[in-house]
Amino acid sequence: MRSGTLDYVVKRVAFALVTIFIVLTFNFVLFRLLPGSAVTDLSRVPNASPALREALAREFGLASSKWDQYLAYLDQLFHGNLGVSYVNQQPVWDNLRTDVANTVPMVALGTVVAVIAGITSGLVSAWRRRTPADYLLTNSAIAFYSFPTQWLGLMLIVLFGSYLPTTGMTTPFQIGGSFWQQAGDELQHMILPSLTIALTLYGQYTLVVRSAVLETLGEDYVLTARAKGVRTRRLLTRHVLRNAMLPIVTLMGLSFGYIVGGALLVETVFTWPGIGLAVYQAVLQRDYPMLQGAFLLLTISVVVFNLLADLLYARLDPRVSG
Amino acid sequence: MALLEVRDLHVWFALPSGRELHAVKGVGLDVERGELFGLIGESGCGKTTTVLALMGLLPSSASVAGSVRVDGADVLSGGEKGARAHRWTETAMVFQGSMNAFSPVKTIGWQIAEPMEIHGVASRRAARARAGELLELVGIPAAAARRYPHQFSGGMRQRAAIAMALSCEPKLLLADEPTTALDVMVQAQILELLQRLARELHLTVVLVTHDLPLVAHICDRAAVMYGGEIAEVAAVDALYHESRHPYTRMLFAATPELLGGKDVTSIPGSPPRLDQPIVGCAFRPRCDSAVVRCATDHPALAEVARGHEAACHLNDPATGVLSVPDAGQPAGGAG
Repeated sequence: MRSGTLDYVVKRVAFALVTIFIVLTFNFVLFRLLPGSAVTDLSRVPNASPALREALAREFGLASSKWDQYLAYLDQLFHGNLGVSYVNQQPVWDNLRTDVANTVPMVALGTVVAVIAGITSGLVSAWRRRTPADYLLTNSAIAFYSFPTQWLGLMLIVLFGSYLPTTGMTTPFQIGGSFWQQAGDELQHMILPSLTIALTLYGQYTLVVRSAVLETLGEDYVLTARAKGVRTRRLLTRHVLRNAMLPIVTLMGLSFGYIVGGALLVETVFTWPGIGLAVYQAVLQRDYPMLQGAFLLLTISVVVFNLLADLLYARLDPRVSG
Repeated sequence: MALLEVRDLHVWFALPSGRELHAVKGVGLDVERGELFGLIGESGCGKTTTVLALMGLLPSSASVAGSVRVDGADVLSGGEKGARAHRWTETAMVFQGSMNAFSPVKTIGWQIAEPMEIHGVASRRAARARAGELLELVGIPAAAARRYPHQFSGGMRQRAAIAMALSCEPKLLLADEPTTALDVMVQAQILELLQRLARELHLTVVLVTHDLPLVAHICDRAAVMYGGEIAEVAAVDALYHESRHPYTRMLFAATPELLGGKDVTSIPGSPPRLDQPIVGCAFRPRCDSAVVRCATDHPALAEVARGHEAACHLNDPATGVLSVPDAGQPAGGAG
């Protein structure tokens, strides 16, 4: 490995760690700046006395100063303890693990489909620019990109609701069945939420890839490659896409980072029991530990995937690390 | 038979406005084997379009008519597929923007070896080895094949572009402004290299440029283009000493000499617009010796001496001496 490359990697990793720490602190401050706390909600019972409120605050560790709370938070975090959910009294980590396991397959499916379809259609529309195929692909991409996600999800429910399941992850009360039957059932439930994510992202990718490819097609080295007798397929993959991929890799890093974060809107519309829905409910119930845990996970995931994208970028573009 | 035979080549570009731009109007060229041939003209006169057409490389907005034969084989008749078979194995090119002729993400060696692999000239291994040899041929150490374009200087990249052009041992090398954007010392080196390679490898070279002294220095024959047509074609000496077209004469007069032996004159006016039809001679509005006939008759390219053709009415005895210069035009230049 060249020293320039090593230098680059070390810098990127250090930058990622600092980012995570800053976001972690930010997470803590943010929720405590909001008016009210978990206690406000829980003590909203008839005849709640200040004594009850105090007792609850002490129980949840909200009685000490903010600074002490912060130190305790950091201390526990470094010991792998994300705290206990105010709502169901389970360790946050256990809650998150289940949610993430539910989210990842659904969002990953949508994202991967969107990235592959988007790159293909962006490449085709740029290569066939100003033809009916280009107009069709570009305009549909703009449409999908501009539809609000929740509206698109609702429209899919309206259109396909009678053929495909629209809520939850499994058919309720269906007990037994082989592993494959269960997997098939889950996959059926996955189709509409995944499709919603895929369509939104597909629009974005088509547009970004199209403009990146158009820019590359005008480069002198593409004309040189044609003059060398390179065939269209090889020209598009080895010469055009290989160069146009550079900005796209950054975008992919972002999209993959959000796989763990889930899709709050989509999961809410389809009541998919993933991390997006968990965040939505935690906000409603002011479940600080849960929110902090979820945001921490999202942060780490986004930062890690960005880091991977940066490292991949350096592999793809020799100019980055010299 | 000439190595390169171009007959009645026309190129039209479809403009977004729906009109057509007639960029190349019936160009004919004969370039003999082993010849260093210059194609001279101002920017926008159609010289780059002409050489791109020779390889079938024009964008889809262009329509092409006429015939191009390289070593007897018709290049344009088979469409994109037909043209592809001739690319690089018969006709190779060093581009105007050679600084950017290399993809930034592949090594120089990979890019020089690529045409050998895709045309089946050499196996991958042999092609890589040959890439190193080609680099040495143009004065770059073979080990530099592993480097990326951004690690090369401008002059090195231009040399590497020439090495890449030679990879499939073409018969014809088209060099489109190969020295623009390089400093004068490097320019001289590149030209010397081209000249040496042409001699050693028996290459036929078409050098496209607006740099007259350069053509006078290294070419055997040259054609002067104006408004998408050939104005004059002759051996370089004849072009310089006995030019038979006012444009050629004015072009040479507009070239400064190093020792400042003569006044430099500029040619007034600007090149004609090619998106509208031109009546008469395209150069008439800028010509210092135009006669009445020039406004209405289009001059055809005609032989004026052995191996010397020009498209100017002044060479036609029938034009006569009774004609008077067009009084409405500015005469002469700054000199």
